[in-house]
Amino acid sequence: MMSLLMAGACSAQMPGGAANPPTPGVQALPSSFDASGSSAKKNSNDPAHQGETPNPQLLGIEMPLLDPSTDTVKYNGGMFDVGNNAAVRARFEKYLEQVPDNTAESKRYRALMRDMLKQTQRAGRDRNYAVGGDVLIKVGKGLYQASEYPGDANQSGALASAIVSALDVQRESLVRTRDNEKIEKEMNGLIKQADNWQNYNVARKTAISTASARPSTGKKGGGGKIDSGGDINALRIAQNIKIAAKKEATQAANLATNESAKLASKLNYQAMLMALLLSRRFDHVVIGARIYRHIYRDGDTKLNLDEKSKAHEVFTGGVGLPPTVNAIDSVASNMRREVDQSIQSVYGMLARNKLGEATQHLIEAVAIGEYMQSVATFPTEARQRIAEFWTLRKRALTALNARDYATVEQVAAKMKELDVDFDDSLLLTYTTGKKRQSDLAIRNASKALRNGDEENFNKYITEAGIIWPRNPNLDKGTEMLAKIDAGDPVKEEFKRLYDGKEFRRIAREREHYKIVATDPDLAKKYEEVIALVMRMDGMLEQIKTVAQQDATLGPCMAYEKLVEWQKSDENFAHDTDMTLALKDFESKAHDFVQALREGESCEQRGEFGSALSCYYRAQCKYVQSTLARDGIKRVMDIIVRAKYE
Amino acid sequence: MAARRVRSGSRKKGKQNLVPVFIGVSIIAVLALIMGSGVLKKGSAARGLEPTPNFRVAEYRQDGSRFASSGNVYVFDGRVENIETIGNARLVSISIPENPDERLPLLVQGDTKLRVNLTRGDRFIFETTCRTGKTSEGQQVKGVLIVRNVETK
Repeated sequence: MMSLLMAGACSAQMPGGAANPPTPGVQALPSSFDASGSSAKKNSNDPAHQGETPNPQLLGIEMPLLDPSTDTVKYNGGMFDVGNNAAVRARFEKYLEQVPDNTAESKRYRALMRDMLKQTQRAGRDRNYAVGGDVLIKVGKGLYQASEYPGDANQSGALASAIVSALDVQRESLVRTRDNEKIEKEMNGLIKQADNWQNYNVARKTAISTASARPSTGKKGGGGKIDSGGDINALRIAQNIKIAAKKEATQAANLATNESAKLASKLNYQAMLMALLLSRRFDHVVIGARIYRHIYRDGDTKLNLDEKSKAHEVFTGGVGLPPTVNAIDSVASNMRREVDQSIQSVYGMLARNKLGEATQHLIEAVAIGEYMQSVATFPTEARQRIAEFWTLRKRALTALNARDYATVEQVAAKMKELDVDFDDSLLLTYTTGKKRQSDLAIRNASKALRNGDEENFNKYITEAGIIWPRNPNLDKGTEMLAKIDAGDPVKEEFKRLYDGKEFRRIAREREHYKIVATDPDLAKKYEEVIALVMRMDGMLEQIKTVAQQDATLGPCMAYEKLVEWQKSDENFAHDTDMTLALKDFESKAHDFVQALREGESCEQRGEFGSALSCYYRAQCKYVQSTLARDGIKRVMDIIVRAKYE
Repeated sequence: MAARRVRSGSRKKGKQNLVPVFIGVSIIAVLALIMGSGVLKKGSAARGLEPTPNFRVAEYRQDGSRFASSGNVYVFDGRVENIETIGNARLVSISIPENPDERLPLLVQGDTKLRVNLTRGDRFIFETTCRTGKTSEGQQVKGVLIVRNVETK
């Protein structure tokens, strides 16, 4: 029962209600988190919902049905979250911005409504209270007065018109009934007259037959002519019968017209009650339902619903009894009580700073009983407190729909500040999951880039962007993309540096040249360069450490080792750091290096004696010198082999 | 004044007393010189080797061929630091007292007959000539000090 009414509450709001379209390739976002936790989404194409029974229809109009367990309304093939429907949100926000309706005009209006409710209630309870008449007049007057209040939206006028229309039909029926009574009397007169005539004829026939049976008295021609015995009023009798038959037909037609008019009238009136119920004018529904028996005094309050419809089931309560107007009265009365209780609970929650729950209850109260006094007079201060929380909730939803998870978390934190009992677990779990998903995609993109897999890089980086568009790590991915876009010049530059053996520069700007890894050949070279430079750095570090252990021999040893390395590997000879280190040790082991250089110079000039002396000197500086030993050996061999004058 | 006279008188007297002493000492000195020079002359003459004065190993390192063209006989008093034998020849590196941080390479050719046995760590006097040679490939080998004679110190 409640669901239908809440559905009615939303019926006027549905047209604007749009669900969040699911993002392709991405899990559907939750558009609601505080009440139901379920998304408001169109599910007409959802296989899970295919084959469901369509919503009941009343007088050809589909009735929205609400599922209280999820706070969602099914309407026109879609599921809408009551708390997260655009129209509901807009209406609720409008309500929060409105000032409480405490004007003199509204007070007078509510007093009128209260009075009418009392009148109808009294008429229902008091046996001695006359049915019809006074009540109808008072209620009718009250309704027309109430319709002058702008907030009534002329609902009272419409109800009054419905009542008048029903009464008009009743009046017409009464006229026809009276006509029938008159026809009945006329028919009775005609029949009586016809009977008289018939009786006269019978008596006359009897007299004639008696006279003809008596013997003749000799009077010839005495007594005149004898009647043949025919009916003298036969035509009149026939005319009367014909007229009576016509009147009877008219009478039957009047009866039929009365019945059909009554049925149509009832249908119209019941439709009006349903319309008022769906537009949440519960006071009007109660008044209209209670006045029903004053209009239709036949005691028939049965609702004319299709027995197979859900609405029929809703109003019968599943007990198999026929739905009645009294059921509408009951439903409306219940909803009035529910709304009042919701508002009372909102006050209690606000007192305990439970803004989240208070907001949710107020949404429901507004959605169901927007026009009720308890809702309309809800105080400004309380509205402002809820509006503040509602704004945050809206921001959270907007950020959630925009997949801006960082903002969602910030807003959730603020909501938690306002309401310590606010359950942000669903929000945070969702955002954390999405953030991790996005980061994982970025990591995969990075991995793909390292492997030179541009296709997968693009795939993963796009995926990461879709999941969390404002992921700060995406900037890195964007930089990577930019590098890929500008990859060719970098590749060319890398090739030039590689060919020029400027490995040290490549290593220094390794992040810049990382992009060349998209080319498998260049990736291999890039890895080689980085490994070589790292190896050279390790060697230099090692040689410097050893050289520091002996201030005299250390530099000699280091110099000789560096020379040896540079001779053994061309790449080492081109390395700037290694060359700088060599120069450094060269200055520190100046005498040793100079002796070696002089030795080489002498060798070139053919001064082998001097060269040998130089190498000996170098050996004196660093006994374990391989360069000196090799020079000595080399020069000795030449000196010994030569022939002297 | 008297004191002065006394003194001058005593000085004259002292001078007269020292004359024989001077004469005696002079005679002894002359004899000693004659005998000493005779001994020295006898030793030098036996060996015929005098270290070449003012020889700088550093200069030799700079330009050995220069030593091959001027006089070209050099005598070194040096300590044998190393001996390398290559075939019949030996290359001896010596250090000379004036340049202890330097090594001077000397070639002892296979056909050179030395009267002393060269041993590492001992000092010898080397008589050398600075020569220029040529390898079989035609490469010039300049400024090589070739040992002619060695004597013990």
